Amino acid sequence: MRPQLVQRTLLSLVLGLLFLSTAATGKCSGKYHELLQQLQSQADLMQDTSTLLDPYIHFQGLDQAGLKEHCKESPGAFPSEDTLRGLSQRGFLRTLNATLGHVLHRLTALQQDLTIAQDQGRNIRGFRSNIHCMSQLLRGSSEVETAEPTQPGPEATLPPTPSSDTFQHKLQGCRFLRGYHRFMHSAGQVFKEWADSRSQSRSRRHRPPRALQRGARRMRPFRRDERLMPRGQLPR
Amino acid sequence: MSFAQTFSFGESRDSVSRFGTTSCPARPHRPPRSLGCPLGPAGWPAGAAARTGARCPAGRVFGFHFSFPGLAHFLSHRTAPGRGVQGPHLSRVPPAFPVDPKEANSCGSRRAKRAQRDGKLQKSSALCPPPRLSRNSRPWARAPQLIHSPGAGPALHVHTRVRGGLAPAAAAPPKSRPGSRSPLPAGKPEPMALFAVFQTSFLLALLSLRAYQSEVLVEPLPLTPESLNVSIDSAHQYLNLQWSVHSLAYYQELKMLFQIQISRMKTSNVIWVGNYSTVVKRDPVLHWSWKSELPLECATHFVRMRSRVDDAKIPEPRFWSNWSSWKEADAQKSLGRDPLFLFPKDKLVEEGSNVTICYMSRNQQDNISCYLEGQQIHGEQLDSNVSAFKLNKVSFIRKTGTNIFCKVDQKDVIKGIVLFVSKVLEEPKDFSCETQDFKTLTCTWDPGTDTSLPKRSSQSYTLFESFSGKKILCEHKNSCNWQVDSDSQEMYNFTLVAENALGNRSVSVLFSLTHRVHPKTPYNLFLKNVSGTKATVTWKVHPIGNYSTLLCQLDLLGEGNVIQQHNVSIKENGEYLLSELEPDTEYMARVRCADANHFWKWSGSISQKFITAEAAPSEALDVWRNVKSVSGRPTVTLFWKPLSKLHANGKILSYNVTVENLDRLSGLEVHSVPATANGTELTLDQDSYQIHVTALNSAGPSPASVIVVSGDPGNEEVEEERVNGTEDGFSVSWKPQSGKAIGYVVEWCDHPQDLPCDLQWKNLSSNTTSTVISSGAFRPGVRYNFRIYEISTERMAYLLEKKAGYLKELAPSDNPQVVVSNLTSHSFTLSWKDYSTDSQPGFIQGYYVYLRSKAEKECHPGFKKATLPDKSACCQHRIDNPEQKTFVMENLQPESVYEFLVTPYTSAGSGPLDAFTKVTTPDEYSHILIRIILPMIVCVLLIMITCYLKSQWMKEKCYPDIPDPYKSNVLSLIKSKENPHLTIMNVSDCVPDAIEVIHKPEGSKIQFLGASKSLTETEFTKPAYLYLLPAEKNYSGPGPCICFENLTYNEAAADSGSCGHFPVTPEALPGQPGPLTSPENLLKALEKNYMNSLGETAAGEASLNYVSQLASQMSGDKDSLPANPPEPVLCSEYKMQMAIPLGLASPPPAENSGLSSTTPLDQSEHYR
Repeated sequence: MRPQLVQRTLLSLVLGLLFLSTAATGKCSGKYHELLQQLQSQADLMQDTSTLLDPYIHFQGLDQAGLKEHCKESPGAFPSEDTLRGLSQRGFLRTLNATLGHVLHRLTALQQDLTIAQDQGRNIRGFRSNIHCMSQLLRGSSEVETAEPTQPGPEATLPPTPSSDTFQHKLQGCRFLRGYHRFMHSAGQVFKEWADSRSQSRSRRHRPPRALQRGARRMRPFRRDERLMPRGQLPR
Repeated sequence: MSFAQTFSFGESRDSVSRFGTTSCPARPHRPPRSLGCPLGPAGWPAGAAARTGARCPAGRVFGFHFSFPGLAHFLSHRTAPGRGVQGPHLSRVPPAFPVDPKEANSCGSRRAKRAQRDGKLQKSSALCPPPRLSRNSRPWARAPQLIHSPGAGPALHVHTRVRGGLAPAAAAPPKSRPGSRSPLPAGKPEPMALFAVFQTSFLLALLSLRAYQSEVLVEPLPLTPESLNVSIDSAHQYLNLQWSVHSLAYYQELKMLFQIQISRMKTSNVIWVGNYSTVVKRDPVLHWSWKSELPLECATHFVRMRSRVDDAKIPEPRFWSNWSSWKEADAQKSLGRDPLFLFPKDKLVEEGSNVTICYMSRNQQDNISCYLEGQQIHGEQLDSNVSAFKLNKVSFIRKTGTNIFCKVDQKDVIKGIVLFVSKVLEEPKDFSCETQDFKTLTCTWDPGTDTSLPKRSSQSYTLFESFSGKKILCEHKNSCNWQVDSDSQEMYNFTLVAENALGNRSVSVLFSLTHRVHPKTPYNLFLKNVSGTKATVTWKVHPIGNYSTLLCQLDLLGEGNVIQQHNVSIKENGEYLLSELEPDTEYMARVRCADANHFWKWSGSISQKFITAEAAPSEALDVWRNVKSVSGRPTVTLFWKPLSKLHANGKILSYNVTVENLDRLSGLEVHSVPATANGTELTLDQDSYQIHVTALNSAGPSPASVIVVSGDPGNEEVEEERVNGTEDGFSVSWKPQSGKAIGYVVEWCDHPQDLPCDLQWKNLSSNTTSTVISSGAFRPGVRYNFRIYEISTERMAYLLEKKAGYLKELAPSDNPQVVVSNLTSHSFTLSWKDYSTDSQPGFIQGYYVYLRSKAEKECHPGFKKATLPDKSACCQHRIDNPEQKTFVMENLQPESVYEFLVTPYTSAGSGPLDAFTKVTTPDEYSHILIRIILPMIVCVLLIMITCYLKSQWMKEKCYPDIPDPYKSNVLSLIKSKENPHLTIMNVSDCVPDAIEVIHKPEGSKIQFLGASKSLTETEFTKPAYLYLLPAEKNYSGPGPCICFENLTYNEAAADSGSCGHFPVTPEALPGQPGPLTSPENLLKALEKNYMNSLGETAAGEASLNYVSQLASQMSGDKDSLPANPPEPVLCSEYKMQMAIPLGLASPPPAENSGLSSTTPLDQSEHYR
């Protein structure tokens, strides 16, 4: 337990520093690459089950044979990876932001049971801040993009309130956290694809990323068929 | 939390076997009531009625259909109803009668019929006891009972009704209903009628009297519980009962007793029976709750009740009402359609409690397995689809609760509950209250274990004061502040109640406020006027009231220990003079106070450190000296021990050493030694000197320490004695000599093997003749030398005695280096004179000499057999004198190997027995041989040296060089004058065919080399000649023949001068052996050894003969030639000599002799 605690503490510290960098500046970075890399790193760290799920399972006494297998993600609780891939960049960010908002709400309830949920709440807020910045960055290049509905987040699919049955509440919390980590893993994969597509685009054109020099206002808008493929003025 | 009702419980057989006892706590909103709780085996068909005394007749009592044959019968059963409810507890007699009303009625009917038939009083029996008459069954009974009479027979039906409330026990005379029959039997004669009239009159009189006394209306009231409603509180697992009774006509309130039955699954399965006593008022809607151990959701429960007046205002006997109808409480109806349910949900229990869990399955075919914290548990099946588990003494596992879940096998269905187990709420410990200012009382306690759980608060604490009736909720878990309103209240009785969701614990304390004064910590503690031995302490305290006096305790601490303690009574300011302090010492002054009148607690302490001023050292130094002679001058080394802190009285700055010559008048010599030194060295002369040593600090010098030394060391030749060491040290004693000693000094070294040896000394008074020297530096196996000095009145030290000893003697660790000497064939000497006995780990008491030999099995005289650690045997000789360091081994065998070992021994043992040394005794005659051979070798060497030095001379005398014939002058003479055909041939021109050695005796007899005939048999009177014969087989005529004549070795030949040529034919060589008969073999044999130059000799010049004599290297003695005929021996050397015609031979010049062996016959060949 002690190494696990240390690991979690270090992880929280790293995440905190990452988020602190964003929060400390108070304004969004105009560098797409940095922002994307930071989002990717944050998603990678937040998908780690040792940050939330594992402590929760241990704290609630669910680490027993016969119970673990019932701690599975509830179908439809979080958008699937395919769903996220099918979204445009801005749609993806909106969905991500909305989902994490609901996760924050749910973590507030979990804070009574799990103290480290409070730390994770701060991390999610920092992550959402970066999502906001990325949205700002993309907004300058997607003014003509048609509005895309946000994918239903956990609000629509998750049980609205925890059951009065404490046992069911425990299981639901476990399933919710597992879904959350899976969702962050999917989000990280999407961000990775963003980065891959950008590097491919840059290698194809063999020219310096002008957008990095001109800023977000010169970015070209995305189209529906350009999903996850930032082109034009987008920094590469 | 207090329970509102107290029950005594009965247990059904089911409940006993499954769930144990049941409890019936009151609902919180109900005031406490006391009620008796007669109980029966709930599970029995007869139910509790039989156990409660409501036996078969009782059932009939409720039916009120009993016969009334006479007063005697009535009186005989007057007390019978009392057996029904005799007290709060139920007698546990077996049920004698079923409760079944039918059975009861039938029993009553039978009795009535028998009464009718027999016309006499019925007797009680085991199965059908006589009907008990309750008070309201009698004409004067006015108890509010519902009475009806389903049975037949002469029964008196008395209906009472309470008007305007229940009247106290009095009741109006009963009215006979119009249709009622007379209780008297008909058809009796007149005397009987007269008796009947009398009896009736008597009864009427009694009834009137009763009515007068009770003043109650006559009509009975139906008090059976009505409108019974049962609901389920799933959260707390309560069955909530609500019912009402009819309005009370004659009483504002009436105490009633309700008997309640609870069945499970079916009405006949009564699991609990209990009584509930309460006071019914005008609006008699009553509530009562029952807590179920088995979760209510898992089984349908049924409830019914009956009532009875239990008020003293109503005289006995009192009768139970009829049972109400069964009311069903079924929680399963409200459950959903889930296939599996598990109850109770989120139950909170205290650690150590017993908990019953049940599950309910919708499908009986499902195979369900349940787990408690991952471990499967097995329960008891209550129904086809209901099973229950009993968990005994549950323990706390985690704050988030104990997980219990059930799964339907082969299905993804899981249901579970969380059992929250709280720590046991402990009674607050160490509860006490005190005040610091008579304004606030602070109560503190130890709360014990925290019983909080997630979403459930921890225990709360309430402080209640009984005299004032005030109560406050404490904000902290371990303390609470109570405001003292005025001075009027002196006594306080506090009750602290700790309460959580499961219960409460309380503790009380009663005290007087003035006895609980805990003063505040003093302040402003100062030290003033601090000198070397005194200091003044001042402090202040917070005043307590106007007349309170505080007792303050002043502690003086030094090095953490309390040195002085003083008590001072003060009002507000304290002051005390501390004395008897040590100079230059750090102290701490500490003050605390308490109420002087009623001690309760000390206040907190305040302390202050201070250091007293320095003073001159109070003690003289302990000085000792060591006198030694350096370069002929006595050198005195002074040692002193640093003053202890107690005597230094400050920091020592330096030491002063003053030297005064006692023999001559001279000035004082003063030396200042730094404070870091513990001694100094002085170089003096042979005079006596008095030395003063003082220590100085900032306050002044210490008293002087005086010592007198002299250049004369005195008598050092004192015999050393031994002293035994013990665990405590060395006990040293001595004998006074002069009797004028002013003291003694024992001197030793803590580390005698080191330099410096860390000299130590101990001063002893003059009347002391022994002491124990102990030191932490003493080690076993180290020899310590003690010298005892006597200090004379002149302060001169004289050596008295010497002691040496070991704290503990050890066995020697090393053996001496032994030298072997005087080795003979029969003895040798061992010596180890370099072995020092003084530096050994024990007193050497002697030596063991071990000897072993493979040749000798028996030990020599003086030796005895011993066994070595390696189990080998040897001979041991013991030397008891440690100073004997030589030993002679005698009686040894020549040419034998002996092994010896010399090891010392002490009282602790001997040295190591490992390294034996081998010695081999020499041969018995070897010394004789040495005496002969050695001179011989010397002589030979001398001869050889001489020969070497005189080699030229020897050569000339013994073997002069053979002259070279080529350089002979004779050749030129032959060539030029006498024989022009003669020439000198080269050897290469001549092919040798054979070499013939010719022995030329007087008869010219020829002898061949290697002939079978022995040479010894040949007469050697003439020199031998070697002939070289031609190789051709067909050689027949006289051919060339070369004859070598050795004139040098063959004097006879030389003298005779007959080196002539004798033609030799092959036939002249009879008997020549094989190898030499072949010309090739002969050539080979001679090719390396002989010089031949046949090639240079013309074939036709047969007149010229060369004769050579064979000269062997092995024998330079020409005298031996006859005995050793010339054989063709390898490495033989032959001298070549020129042949000259007979008669012309002349000796070669001496100077050409050296050329004889090196003259080249050809450019590529050498001949020797």
